[in-house]
Amino acid sequence: MSSLHRIRTIYQKELLDILRDRRTLIAMIVVPIVLYPLLMVGSLQAVTIQESSLNKEKYIIGVVGHKQKDLLTYLLQWDAMLAAQEKPIDERVASHPDDEAAAPLVELVKIIPIKSEAALRVNIRERAIHLGILFDSNEFLKAIDQQNGVTILSDEAEIRGQYVTNRLEKMFKRLSDRLVDQRKKRAALPANFDRPFDIEFVNLSAPQSILGQILPLILILMTITGAIYPAIDLTAGERERGTLESLMVCPVPVIDLIVGKFLVVTTVAIMGATLNLASVTATVYFGGFDMLIATSGEGLPLVTMLLILVCLIPFAVLMSAMMLAVCSFARTFKEAQNYVTPVILAALLPGGMAALPAARLDGVMLVLPVGNMVLLTRELLLGSAVPLGHLLTVLFSTTLYAVAAVAIAATLFGKESVVFADSGSLKTLFSRNLIKPARQPSVAMSMLYVSLLFPTWFFIQSALSPAVDENIGGLLEASAWLMPLLFVLMPLLMLTYWKVSAKQSLFIKVPKARHLAAAILLGCCMWIPAHELNLIQYGLLGLPQAVVEQAESMAETLQALPFGGVILMIAVIPAVCEELLFRGFLMGGLSSSARKWTAILASAAIFGVFHFMIFKFLVTAMLGVVLGYLCWQSQSIWPAIIAHAMHNTLAVMSVVKPAMFESMGITLQEGAHLPWPMLIVGCVAVVVALLLLRRAAISQTRSVMVSSA
Amino acid sequence: MDMVIANNLVKTFPTPEGKDKRAVDGLTFCVGEGQIYGLLGPNGAGKTTSLRLLSGLMALTSGGATLAGYDVSTQPHEVKRVLGFLTANTGLYQRLTSRELLIYFAQLHGMSQDEARAKADHLIDWLGLKDFSTLRCGALSTGQKQRVNIARALIADPPILIMDEPTLGLDVLSNRIILEYIKRERDRGKTIILSTHYLDEAEDMCDYIGLIYNGKLVAEGTTDSLRAQTDEQRLSNIFLKIIHAREQVEAAIA
Repeated sequence: MSSLHRIRTIYQKELLDILRDRRTLIAMIVVPIVLYPLLMVGSLQAVTIQESSLNKEKYIIGVVGHKQKDLLTYLLQWDAMLAAQEKPIDERVASHPDDEAAAPLVELVKIIPIKSEAALRVNIRERAIHLGILFDSNEFLKAIDQQNGVTILSDEAEIRGQYVTNRLEKMFKRLSDRLVDQRKKRAALPANFDRPFDIEFVNLSAPQSILGQILPLILILMTITGAIYPAIDLTAGERERGTLESLMVCPVPVIDLIVGKFLVVTTVAIMGATLNLASVTATVYFGGFDMLIATSGEGLPLVTMLLILVCLIPFAVLMSAMMLAVCSFARTFKEAQNYVTPVILAALLPGGMAALPAARLDGVMLVLPVGNMVLLTRELLLGSAVPLGHLLTVLFSTTLYAVAAVAIAATLFGKESVVFADSGSLKTLFSRNLIKPARQPSVAMSMLYVSLLFPTWFFIQSALSPAVDENIGGLLEASAWLMPLLFVLMPLLMLTYWKVSAKQSLFIKVPKARHLAAAILLGCCMWIPAHELNLIQYGLLGLPQAVVEQAESMAETLQALPFGGVILMIAVIPAVCEELLFRGFLMGGLSSSARKWTAILASAAIFGVFHFMIFKFLVTAMLGVVLGYLCWQSQSIWPAIIAHAMHNTLAVMSVVKPAMFESMGITLQEGAHLPWPMLIVGCVAVVVALLLLRRAAISQTRSVMVSSA
Repeated sequence: MDMVIANNLVKTFPTPEGKDKRAVDGLTFCVGEGQIYGLLGPNGAGKTTSLRLLSGLMALTSGGATLAGYDVSTQPHEVKRVLGFLTANTGLYQRLTSRELLIYFAQLHGMSQDEARAKADHLIDWLGLKDFSTLRCGALSTGQKQRVNIARALIADPPILIMDEPTLGLDVLSNRIILEYIKRERDRGKTIILSTHYLDEAEDMCDYIGLIYNGKLVAEGTTDSLRAQTDEQRLSNIFLKIIHAREQVEAAIA
């Protein structure tokens, strides 16, 4: 039975199983359908009730002495009279939009004269009165140019005090406008005399901007909520109910079980999130609340909701994989719940960071787990144009993290110390004494390292990418130092710790002459079809001017540096390091449970993406396939290193010493095609090399290993 | 031909004190085709661990074992194909019906959907599960659950069955039914390893008996040969006598 068939069987059964569970259904269907309308209607009503009660309550204002009481009463009555006089009754409401349906302030307040200012302050602090007003003089508004000091004392934490303060502020504004008009008239000044600037603020943000800021975070929560229960039920639950044992004695690879379960968790998470979203949408539209959510009067377009749904899928994939990995570690439901909480918090942290208004979808944010998805969702919601490269980087890194999490889940799920409680403590998982020596790293190990390296390397690359007029030489040197450390030394340390034979897993073996010949042929001629492929890719995607300029400035710098050093730093060191990482550590790890072509293609795709250049992805990935095939067929890393280094050297030379190529009649600039005889020779050489490799029988050790995995 | 060969099985567990505990300590035995081999011993003797080692659920610390010629350590998949495994506390999927559960496990063993259905219906018939085959497993009684579990272990018609206290906690009636199933499978030529601490049951069922104590095999033979060794008639007395003798030896060494 094929893996796919098995995964489908597992998927169907687990989905049926989980959908028959009352708890899942309640969490997934009942909660959103009941909760959201209730929450929305409820909170809106609460707000309305509070508002209307504030509009009706009696407010106590304290003043110092009876004179000031009379003064305040006079002002309040004047304002009420002005409002009544100036506007017809039905427009009065509109002229005071904030005091909608509110009675005139004079009817709402009770003014209490208090002996001294000190006593007034004490009363406010003790909340015996809501507000205090001090006039600097009892002789108010006597002279035309008199300025009258008014001090309003309030407790900011007191909502009623704040309410009256607001209304008083507006009252004084109205009165003062009125007085200014009167004074201007009396002094025969034009109406705009005191308004040298007429300032108007226009808000151009998209209507759903507020929603756009917070929705991505809500989405994370919704998706997590959907994934938690099934993830626990399908892993720790299986263990707790004793069904895991019967599953583990079936002839099914653990990775198939986990992939099946992962797909179910993802499905349920997406279903749950869809229902949540549908419920929110329905509540918003049928409840007529869309105006309240959107900032402008246009309401919330339905298309936006669909867009959100699409963004949910990668979220659900990552969250499900993370939950599954964490829960695979737990033996019981309770234990799993304890593990899940910190994961949710950890996911919310980058999510929260990305939700900050200043965060942008570029640089490290592109590869920040969860955070990049939050930002992408936000950009899409706000209708910004997201560059294709950014979109792909986000999706790819998310996929990479999800794959690593699934691989970790698969490693943990079958571990006997997790399956059997009597099999020693969970510490044994990490005890080096109990690790059995192995020939290959596990898929989980290699994927975990590569997915950690991905954002790290991305960060280093963007940090090192030269600014204008910077010393590229030094930066190249730094990169050449870091590469052996991160691509070779760290994997080697991991292999040593896990007792994996570095020699076998990295294919350190003397190659056969035939394989070396193929490697040299490929090293010499691979660039020819690669060059043409590049041209095709540029034709399809176009090449931004910035990239061209960067390449040109790079070429100038390289020409100025010593030739040997350039070759070492750009051609040889990367070739050695990349081969050991991608063909050795990664492809070797993948081969421990994947088939030959799956391992070659997957490692080639990751190799391609690690170059962080969408314009070169196709070509680098193709090179990855050829080098992977070379390494697999020869079972040695050396031919791949040789071919890779030769290929890189030729590429560097074409930049540093273009004259050499031109003397052979080859122009590599401006998208020119190669002369056709050369093209034919190059392609034939590559085909011959591949045929040489094809003849080689797959090594016995490898095929045994694949079948036993 | 020996269908099961256990050769010097050793399994150690790390303890919190940092020392290793040898749960299984050099266990060696063979089981011939069509035999029921009884693995007997007190609680904590290492029976369950031994059976888990044989089924590939746990990794061996050292030693080796083959089932139907397949090596447990290097050919785990082949071993799982020839093996039916059952314990007293193997759970069932509560929310699936017995029939759905059997079809699922048949498919996991590589059968197509139609084959799996036919196989499940056949087993439901053969083991008399018809009355409750459409009920969800969560609604079944303990005895019924164990009968479904046996059907689950037999789903791929494996030549070897490993049963770890399959009758634990069952009433007399269910107990009898399960033992009948096991005998019927033996009569169909299956090789069975049965661990139990119901000694009467073992006496009645097993062709060959191995007594295990502190992870070691302390006596082995047919019931008759064990009787001859110890001058005792009842298996429980034989059992106590051998263990007592063993304890004296160990005390003397210490």
